[in-house]
Amino acid sequence: MSIDHRQVQSALDIMGPGTHVDLSQERTGLLRYARSRVTAQHSEERLRVRVRLTEGGRTALGTLETLEPTEVKALCDRLRSALALLPAHSDEPDASPRSASGTDPVAPKVAAATLGAGPADRHAWFSAVRDGLAGTAQLGGSIRHDVIHRVVADHSGLYRKETLTKASLQAVAERDGRSSSVRLVHRDAARIDPTDVARRLLDDLTDLPERTPVRGTFRVLLRPQAVVTLLATYGYVALGAAGYAEGRTAVAGRMGSRVTSDLLTITDDGTDPAGLASGFDPEGTPRRLTRLVDNGVLTGVVSDLRRADVTGGSSTGHAVPAGWRFGADPSPSHLLLAGGENTEEELAAVCGTGLVISRLDYLRILHPKDTLVTGTTRDATYWIHDGEPVAWQPSVRLTFRMDEVLDTVLAVGSRRERGEAVFMESVVAPALLVDAGPISL
Amino acid sequence: MKDTAETVLGLLPRDVAYADVRVVERTHELVLVEHEGPGDVMRENSLGVGVRVVIGGQWGFAATHRLDLKGLTAAVSEAVAQARAADGGAKIALGQPVTTRARWSSPMAVDPFTVPLSGKLDLLAAAVAEARTAGPLLRQIEASMDFFRDDKVFANTEGALIEQTITESGAGLMAVASDYDDVQRRSFPQAVPRSIRGQRGQFATAGYEHIPALRLVEEAARVGADAVALLSAPQCPDQNSTLVVTGAQLAMLLHECAGHPMEADRALGSEVSLAGGTYASPERRGTFRFGSPIVSVHADATIPGALGSYAYDDEGVAAQRTELVKDGVFTGYLSGRESAATLGQESSGAARADGWQRIPLVRMTNLCLEPGDSSLAEMIDGTKRGVLMDMTKSVSIDDQRLSFRLGAEAGWEIRDGKLGRLLKNCTYSGVTPRFWADCDALGNRDEFQVHGIPSCNKGEPLQVAHIGHGTVPARFRSVQIGTR
Repeated sequence: MSIDHRQVQSALDIMGPGTHVDLSQERTGLLRYARSRVTAQHSEERLRVRVRLTEGGRTALGTLETLEPTEVKALCDRLRSALALLPAHSDEPDASPRSASGTDPVAPKVAAATLGAGPADRHAWFSAVRDGLAGTAQLGGSIRHDVIHRVVADHSGLYRKETLTKASLQAVAERDGRSSSVRLVHRDAARIDPTDVARRLLDDLTDLPERTPVRGTFRVLLRPQAVVTLLATYGYVALGAAGYAEGRTAVAGRMGSRVTSDLLTITDDGTDPAGLASGFDPEGTPRRLTRLVDNGVLTGVVSDLRRADVTGGSSTGHAVPAGWRFGADPSPSHLLLAGGENTEEELAAVCGTGLVISRLDYLRILHPKDTLVTGTTRDATYWIHDGEPVAWQPSVRLTFRMDEVLDTVLAVGSRRERGEAVFMESVVAPALLVDAGPISL
Repeated sequence: MKDTAETVLGLLPRDVAYADVRVVERTHELVLVEHEGPGDVMRENSLGVGVRVVIGGQWGFAATHRLDLKGLTAAVSEAVAQARAADGGAKIALGQPVTTRARWSSPMAVDPFTVPLSGKLDLLAAAVAEARTAGPLLRQIEASMDFFRDDKVFANTEGALIEQTITESGAGLMAVASDYDDVQRRSFPQAVPRSIRGQRGQFATAGYEHIPALRLVEEAARVGADAVALLSAPQCPDQNSTLVVTGAQLAMLLHECAGHPMEADRALGSEVSLAGGTYASPERRGTFRFGSPIVSVHADATIPGALGSYAYDDEGVAAQRTELVKDGVFTGYLSGRESAATLGQESSGAARADGWQRIPLVRMTNLCLEPGDSSLAEMIDGTKRGVLMDMTKSVSIDDQRLSFRLGAEAGWEIRDGKLGRLLKNCTYSGVTPRFWADCDALGNRDEFQVHGIPSCNKGEPLQVAHIGHGTVPARFRSVQIGTR
């Protein structure tokens, strides 16, 4: 299964000048389970062809699931008719340049273990985790393998291709109304070890007394997956070039100023294998390191070809797919928060008394400019005293400003975890110890 | 498509205990006009087949866009291999066989895919132009139309063969104002909580005739002016007070508090690693008090023209009306064949799949709050101190669907039975059964409206469902209201 170069070229020839195509041929295998039994299996293969026709500053979009010439021609005719009706758009580039830098993208390694994974492999992982729990907790979650062949090409000669693989294991253990979770994701299925997942789940299902929440503010130790969610949401709402230029984001007009604690350094780098690396964005611009926050100081935002003016005239490689449901503005894709020097045990000791949060759930933006969000804790959440766990905290709602949280970081963990968000390919983050103030009950 | 379905059934091995096949062609057109000119004209087309099998009591599912014999054979083999790889556990039960043979098309007066693009662009451009009269603080305007058509064939090994064509239309407007210190937005006729591009507004299972009836152009200037006015409006003060919500605001509240929690698959744990569980557990049916005695909720997939309406679900079960909450007490679930059989009941005909490439999940249809005997005007008149809120701006709820916080695009102070100042950044929070227990007034049948929203997310891989919410204005006492 791969995309045939000749078919792509044929489609471009049919559609003519001004055509840009973004193709993905995807194969997904999925196993889902709940209450320690398999509930669903899923296999899917599909070809997605996203077409953008640009002519005289006007743009029309279309999608297909075939490269069959008659279908391509029919879509092309429809889009050309649409273009003829549209008034010109003042700032739309006519076609995608090859790339601002002219460098070739860094191709991620193709993982053979993910390419070859099948139902039996997923069942083996599921059994390993379920059996590791030894009936002491109910297991829910999913195991998934994805293979995506991508091509971005245009009529003026741009042609980029890559094959992306992804394996993930999500496990939630439940016992007596309490839950813990582990999420592992990697391009290479061979780098995911399911045998240790049960131990991690059980370690977090601590037999602590439950505490009724006390109103007030306190220190918070955000574990890596909680920081993944926080950073993804912050990046989406604050670090795009369009929102920056239009004054819609919290950091607008603050380039060169301190926007977070000086302990934080945030980059976006699709070439870094710490994340889920990919070579180029949907416009074909190579992924590269983009510095966003250097020791607390805002040093950049992410852009696409349309907003390249905000980032010195060249796109940072952060275009979003045509017709993307989360908007048309450029958005971070591979955020990385630099690790610090402390183990989580050391962070807990520094924290002294406070709340440990493993996951933030359903984090939603109440006010984008203020970075005000609301969400709840989920899975293992507990109070510590003198750095030791003392009480379990049931799910609790938190409403806070993300910029205030990121500004009051006391210490950064050394171990980073990889995660995802529905609007971001990957996020890599360590634990953060946040001082009392921005988060309260 | 029918031939393809029959071909797939003919490829099944003998040990398949049950199988169904769905061949689906989906067409989607988006026309979007923005502040500075045309945004997107997009045409999407998707055709493929999904086959689901039960072997040895275990599921397998495979989907492909390759409709030649080789592609179909590979899909069947993949589904069969999955089912055979399953390592035991509880056996799948599906209840009564489904043997329906039928054809159905949703009614429409004007096929939206035959309406010239120029007319659509003109209408949206006129709406944007009207909204722009609000002045330079209006930084972003999106006016959009979306049209969907699903041509579907469903067939199973029990003898069912159902052909359906469903056409949906919707349009909306969003205006965003910014003065560099603040950003505010207003939407019409309905908001979406997230910044989804297109697919905003009010949707119906109808043709193009639905679009002019929305009066986008006529309302656009007010929408733009409202967004600008919010910039200088005072913050919603923190208070424990009376909350009055419009039907448009109530739609998402009902969705989160009653809709998702009463999906049977969720109650059986299938969403635990995703959106979570539910307070509405099976043992609580018939006893758990969801709300005050004036609160009754049902789901109805048979409402003519509503977005969550159809004739048969994606397991071939007939659309129906299902009671979920009666006189304040939780009574039932939305369900599909498997979840219903597990609970010892009949399917409520609510198993729906997002296209050919997904398995059917239990989804909301048209989730409706039974009207009461009050009205929005009476509720305001009978409120000494409170806040009226309109249109959802944000939604967050915990994994058991209990603790929630919703944000509104706009609010108005209520003082001594009169509407007062416009308020911005209004939010309210609560815990589902406590909040609904304090519902003391519901709008009457004249104020009942079904709000169609094409963006309900669920499952892995993610599925987006098109659903309706039948609501009226409502009043709640002792609500935590404020900005944070």
